Amino acid sequence: MAQKKINLDIPEVESREQRLGTIIAWDGKASELSRQSSYERRGCEGKGKQCRLCEVKGPFTQGSVCSEQMVECQAGNVRDAVLIQHSPIGCGVGQVPYNSIYRNGLALRNLPVENIRIICTNLDESDMVFGGVKKLKQSIKDAFERYSPKAIFLSTSCATGIIGEDMESVASEAEKEIGIPVIPLACEGFRSKHWSTGFDATQHGILRKIVRKNPKKQEDLINVINLWGSDVFTPMLGELGLRVNYVVDLATVEDLAQLSEAAATVGFCYTLSSYMAAALEQEFGVPEIKAPQPYGFAGTDAWLREIGRVTNREELAEAFIKKEHERIKPKLEELRKKLKGIKGYVATGSAYAHGLITVLRELGVEVNGSLVFHHDPVYDSGDPKQDSLKFLIDNYDDVPSFSVSNRQQYQFYGLLKKTNPDFILIRHNGLAPLASRLGIPAAPLGDEHLAIGYDGMINLGEAVLDVLAHKKFHQDLKEHVKLPYTKWWLDQEDPYILAKEPEILNEKII
Amino acid sequence: MEINKEININQTNSINQVRYGCAIGALYSVSSIPGAMPIVNCGPGCADKQYTGLAFYNGFQGGGYSGGAVSPSSNAGENEVVFGGENRLRELIKSSLKIMEAELFVVLTGCIGEIVGDDVGAVVGEFQKKGAPIVYAETGGFKGNNFVGHELVTKAIIDQYVGEYSGEKEEGLINVWSLLPYQNTFWRGDLTEIKRVLEGAGLKVNILFGPESKGVSEWKDIPKAQFNLVLSPWLGLDTAKHLKSKYGQPFLHIPTVPIGAKETSEFLRKVVDFAGIDKQKSEEFIKEEEKNYYYYLEHFADFYAEYWWGLPAKYAVVGDSAYNLALNKFLVNQLGLIPARQIITENPPEQYRRAIAGEYSKLAEDVSADVDFAEDGYVIGQLLKQTDFGHKPPIIFGTTWERDTAKELKGAIIEVGFPASYEVVLARTYIGYKGALNLLEKIYTTAISASA
Repeated sequence: MAQKKINLDIPEVESREQRLGTIIAWDGKASELSRQSSYERRGCEGKGKQCRLCEVKGPFTQGSVCSEQMVECQAGNVRDAVLIQHSPIGCGVGQVPYNSIYRNGLALRNLPVENIRIICTNLDESDMVFGGVKKLKQSIKDAFERYSPKAIFLSTSCATGIIGEDMESVASEAEKEIGIPVIPLACEGFRSKHWSTGFDATQHGILRKIVRKNPKKQEDLINVINLWGSDVFTPMLGELGLRVNYVVDLATVEDLAQLSEAAATVGFCYTLSSYMAAALEQEFGVPEIKAPQPYGFAGTDAWLREIGRVTNREELAEAFIKKEHERIKPKLEELRKKLKGIKGYVATGSAYAHGLITVLRELGVEVNGSLVFHHDPVYDSGDPKQDSLKFLIDNYDDVPSFSVSNRQQYQFYGLLKKTNPDFILIRHNGLAPLASRLGIPAAPLGDEHLAIGYDGMINLGEAVLDVLAHKKFHQDLKEHVKLPYTKWWLDQEDPYILAKEPEILNEKII
Repeated sequence: MEINKEININQTNSINQVRYGCAIGALYSVSSIPGAMPIVNCGPGCADKQYTGLAFYNGFQGGGYSGGAVSPSSNAGENEVVFGGENRLRELIKSSLKIMEAELFVVLTGCIGEIVGDDVGAVVGEFQKKGAPIVYAETGGFKGNNFVGHELVTKAIIDQYVGEYSGEKEEGLINVWSLLPYQNTFWRGDLTEIKRVLEGAGLKVNILFGPESKGVSEWKDIPKAQFNLVLSPWLGLDTAKHLKSKYGQPFLHIPTVPIGAKETSEFLRKVVDFAGIDKQKSEEFIKEEEKNYYYYLEHFADFYAEYWWGLPAKYAVVGDSAYNLALNKFLVNQLGLIPARQIITENPPEQYRRAIAGEYSKLAEDVSADVDFAEDGYVIGQLLKQTDFGHKPPIIFGTTWERDTAKELKGAIIEVGFPASYEVVLARTYIGYKGALNLLEKIYTTAISASA
C-alpha cells in the first residue's frame, strides 16, 4: 500500500485537502461516492490524482465552522496546559462554548469541574499595522505566571496569518526561557476549506513537541483518540486487560507524552483520529488499529478482534464478543420491535455518520438519507481496512441520498423534504433548528460515545425513543413559524441547483 | 522574557474568560430587528463563534429567524486572502437576495476583508443602485467589541437605509437606545418591559429591537420621533448624537436602567417631563403599577423579615455597566444590601468612565461604592478573592466565569450577564416593575435552595 508520509518536520500541518483530497460539497448515492473515492488505488495508478473528487461548489454559503475552533476544542481542553489565541477578540468568543462543554465533559468523567484556560491576545487595529508579537510574549508570560502550565499552545488566526506573525520564533524563544513546551498551531480559518484540519493542526503540534521521543513501552496501554465522551472504552477494553489513555480532550500533558508508549491506538471516529494514529505508527511504531469503527455488531466484532490480534489478546477478545452478543441480543430485539417502521436521518461529521448509520440499521431503523459535513476519500494510513464508507455499504447496504454539505442549512431543507425522516441524529449545532421548524425532532449526541460498541446500540435505540416523544413539540412549532427562505428556494427540488446551474442567478433578482 | 516571582494582577492585553463578542458580533443586533438579515463577509468560523457564544451558551436565547446557521457568510478562504474577496462577496449577495427572505440585508465585514482591503462599499453600492434594500458596516474584529459593532451597524442602517427626512416630528414618539441585544442575556424581556411602562405612561415607542419591535418599518420611523432616549450608562450616546445632527432630534440620557418601583417611577417622571406630555396619564399608570408591586412586596416582607436561616448581606456585581449600575441601585435602595465589589467588564470608552464611576459614588444618600474596570477573568477572580465579604457567604451577580470563584468563596452565584451558560432565558425580565419581582424570586430562591 502506497502511503503518503506524514511530515512532522514542517511547523505547519498540511491541510486535509492537500493530504487526503477532502471535499465539502457532493450529492448522490453513498455507493457512488465510495466508487469515486477509489480508495484502493490511491497514489498508485493515478499518481494521487484519482483521489481528487469533484465538488459541487455553489455561490451561496451560510456560516460554517473553522479550524481554530477545533484547536480550541482540543488543545484548549488539555487539563494542565494553556491555549493562547493570538487573535483579535472575536476568536476569543469561542472560549464561551468550549468552557461550558469542558465543564460538562469534566463532570461526565468525574473530574473536578473548573473553567477552561484559554487566553486571547486581543489584537487591535494598530497591531494589524505594526504586528502583535509584543502582546503574544506578554500573554505567554501571563499564562506561565498565573497558571503554571505544563505546556502552552499558541493558535494562529486569520488576522495573524494575513499580517504574517512569526509565531515559530516567539515560541522557541519562550520555550528556552520558561522550560516547558510552547507549541504554535497553524489553524487560520481561511487556510483549509474544512475545519477538521484544526484537529490535525493540534495533533501535529502535540506529536512534534509533547510526545516522548524515547518511549518506554507500556504493553497494556491503549490510546483512545476522542473528545469529551463518557468512559465507555474502559469497560470494553478492560475485559481485554488494557488500560485506556484518553486523548486529547480532558487529558493531561503527561497523558499526551505517553502516546508513543502505548500498545495500540484506536478512536471513535476516523475523521478525528486519522492524523494522530497514523503518525504514531509511522514515527513510534505504535500500531493503529486498522479495522471498521466500533459500531454495530459487525464493526465492533471486527474492531475487537483486530485489537486482540495486535495486542496478543485474541482469546480474551473472542470470549468478550461471545458474552456481549448473548447479553445484548434480547434487549436489541425489544428495541427493534419498538422502532419498527421508523425512519431516521444522520447529519454529523463524516466517519462518525458512517458508524451511526450502521447502528440505526442494527436497530431496524430505516436510513434513506445522510448529510456529512465533509468527505475524506481516504484516511492518513491509506489502508482500505479503514474505509468506513465502504464497510457501511458492503455490510449494511447503500444509502440512497448521501450528501456532503458543510453545515449548509439551506440545502438541508431540500434533503429533509426528499427523505422525510421521523427524526435526525446530529452532533454539531446548526441543522437541528431547521429540522425542528419542519416538525422533525433531533437527538443531539453530545456524548459522542453514546453509540459505541454493543451497549451503544441499546443506548442509541433508547435515545431515539426519547426523542421521538419530543415530536409533539416540533409539530406544534411547525404550525407557527415561517422559514427564512424565499418561496423560489423552497420550491427547488435540487439543493445543489445553484452549483449546477449558476446562470439562474442572472435572472431578475428583485 | 522575564518571569517575575510575584504574580501580576494588572490587566494586560491578555483576555481569559471573554466577556463580550467582537465588532462582527453585531450581526446579532441585525438579527434582533424583525425582517433584517445579516450577511457576514468573513472567515468560515466567525458567525458560528458569535452564535455559540452570544446566542447559545448565553441563556440559550436561540438564533431565531436570521441568526444561528441561517446567516449567509462568505466563508473566506485562501483565494479571497490572496486575490481579494470582492467577487466572492458579489456572488454571495446576489445569491442571498435570491434565496433569503428579508426586508433589509446588512453586510458585516470581518478581519479578512478589512485587512485585505476589499472595497465592500463599492460592491454593496452596485446592489443599492439597483434598489436592493442592503447596507454595509465595517466590523473587523480588531476594531473593537460588539458594543462598538452595534453602533457601527445602527449608524449604517440609519445613513444608508433610513436616509434623509424633512417631514414633521410626532409628539410623544420616542426612539429607545438601551441594552445590547443578545450580549445582555435578558434584553428581550427587558426591552418589552421598557416599552410597556413607557407606553403606560403615555408615550409612543420605537423599541427597534426584539419581538416588540415592528421591525424594519419601525426603523423608517426613527426620524419622526420627538426625541431619542438613551437608557444606559453610555451605549447609544454616539447614535443619539448622530441623530441630533442628522434629524435635529434632541436626546435624553438616563444612565440607570430602572429596577423596582422607586427607580421605575422616577424614570418615567423624567421621561414624561422631557416629553412635556400630559402627566395625569403617567401618574395614574405609576399609581396602578406601584399598587401591584407593593402588594407583592408586602407579602415578601414576611420572608425577608423573619426567615430563620440567614440571607446574604454583602454582594459583588461583575458585568456590563448597564446591568451593573442598575442592580447596584436596586440592591442598595430596595433591599438594603451592602456593596462589596463592583467590576465593570465591557471596556467602556475612556471618556465615559469617570461619569460611570460617579454614579456609584451616590448609590444612596448614605451608600457609595468603588468600581473596578477589568476585562480579564484572572484579574476579576483575584479581585473577588481579595474582597472582604464579612462574616457571611456573599452573593455574586456575575457570569458563568464566576461559578468557580463563588464556590471557592462558598457564596451564591446568580448569572446575570454574558456568558450565562447555566441559565435558560426566554421572556424573563429583571427590570422595571415586573422584572424586579422576578429578580427577587431568583435571588432568594438561589440563596435558600443551597441552604439545606
